[in-house]
Amino acid sequence: MRFPWKVLVIGLNLLFLLSAMGGRAVAAPAEPLAVVKQAVDEILSILQDKKFSGAAKKEERWKRISVVVENYFDFEEISMRTLAQAWKERTPAERKQFVGLFRQLLERTYINKVDNYCHEQGVACVGKVVNFKRQEIQGDKAVVYTSFVRDNVETPVEYKLQNESGRWMVYDVVIEGVSLVRNYRSQFKSILAREQFGGLLAKMEEKVKKGEPMEGAPK
Amino acid sequence: MKNRAGFVVAWCLILFFLGFRVPVAQAAADPYTEEMASTSESNGMEAIADPLEPMNRFFFEFNDRLYFWVLKPVSTGYSYVVAEDVRMSIRDFFYNLLAPVRIVNSLLQGKVKNSATELGRFVINSTVGVVGFGDPATNEFGLPRRDEDLGQTLGVYGIGDGFYICWPILGPSSLRDTVGLVGDSFLDPVSYLMAADFAAGAAVYSGSEVNKTSLTLGDYEEFKEAAFDPYLALRDAYQQYRRNKIKDGNGAPDSSLYKEKRDED
Repeated sequence: MRFPWKVLVIGLNLLFLLSAMGGRAVAAPAEPLAVVKQAVDEILSILQDKKFSGAAKKEERWKRISVVVENYFDFEEISMRTLAQAWKERTPAERKQFVGLFRQLLERTYINKVDNYCHEQGVACVGKVVNFKRQEIQGDKAVVYTSFVRDNVETPVEYKLQNESGRWMVYDVVIEGVSLVRNYRSQFKSILAREQFGGLLAKMEEKVKKGEPMEGAPK
Repeated sequence: MKNRAGFVVAWCLILFFLGFRVPVAQAAADPYTEEMASTSESNGMEAIADPLEPMNRFFFEFNDRLYFWVLKPVSTGYSYVVAEDVRMSIRDFFYNLLAPVRIVNSLLQGKVKNSATELGRFVINSTVGVVGFGDPATNEFGLPRRDEDLGQTLGVYGIGDGFYICWPILGPSSLRDTVGLVGDSFLDPVSYLMAADFAAGAAVYSGSEVNKTSLTLGDYEEFKEAAFDPYLALRDAYQQYRRNKIKDGNGAPDSSLYKEKRDED
């Protein structure tokens, strides 16, 4: 009987491949730049998918995008950094309520923005609009530099990420040097000074209700 | 032998240009400085002073109405009549006209190489680019745009914002940037036209603003929609934006990448 060399070779290769892959997954999580690129690609592919195109499919499209966004953006970290000092004074329940509202608001505003832009541009919105430039890592923090081109004008967009037990999560977006977190912080600070936390929550609820894009969306 | 001499010359040139690069590389600030104190209030920069807030809010409202009642309808109508690429050319023409401001301010900030680049851009766009209506300097020659003005120069010299001013028509500014604006106007052809014939100068200025607005319609609306207090949002955005301009940003446009993208078109 001949020895099945072929089987052995294939088997060894498979073993090697698996061990290599397994080792990699533990030792080296995806690089921050790759993570941001993955997030942008996933969102753009939903926007491009013919199954979800058109105004009638808006709700379906948005739901899918918001699932992607929640995989890559840490809304608790964003909320904490935005409320800054005020975050410490809140109970866990209040924090949870704030994170939920702020997440809805940010998603609604920015998904709408990207959605409008891609639909006005048609299919051309993939690849040509976003340049991924470079990343800088320092400990558990990273910055990914990208840019966005519209009408031949290039706008720099930076994503700030934090390593959370092996996963890079976005906690701030900086457009032309303007940090989203800092911009909201300056507004919330003045609202908190005048109307306390209850007033801020009421304002947020009102804003969420006013422009709810998807009827019956999960809370 | 001749080849070797060429090689040496090439190396000298490379070293020469690298020498210019070093101070630029040093200027790139640590991107994490304001990140660590995430829950403390006094992280990063202080909010800009705003002793004139009531007046500023008044002019903010004025500008807001000016946009919705005049600028937006006019720009929208204009955008239907004039094709987008023509409007982009007109925008580039006015941008090119302000090249002297950028050349002089790059020099004042000691950025000799950037000043030369800007001069090169001005020459290319004014000739090959047909008096500035095209932008071959960016698209064909890969010379990146770098915005410089006197407000930024003063910032580089260590002068702070002063306080926030929201001007009618001109929009958000600061004490420092207002001084800069006045200084830069000496290098702005439109301001000379305005001095000679106010109506003609004002017409050209309005025309350039309408043209610019026609390319960014909807941006202001989105900005307002995202904000809880649009006045505060704009004030903070202005301060952050200018701070970033003064330190020349971290995500400065990378000419080679930009060119690569253009070539694919």
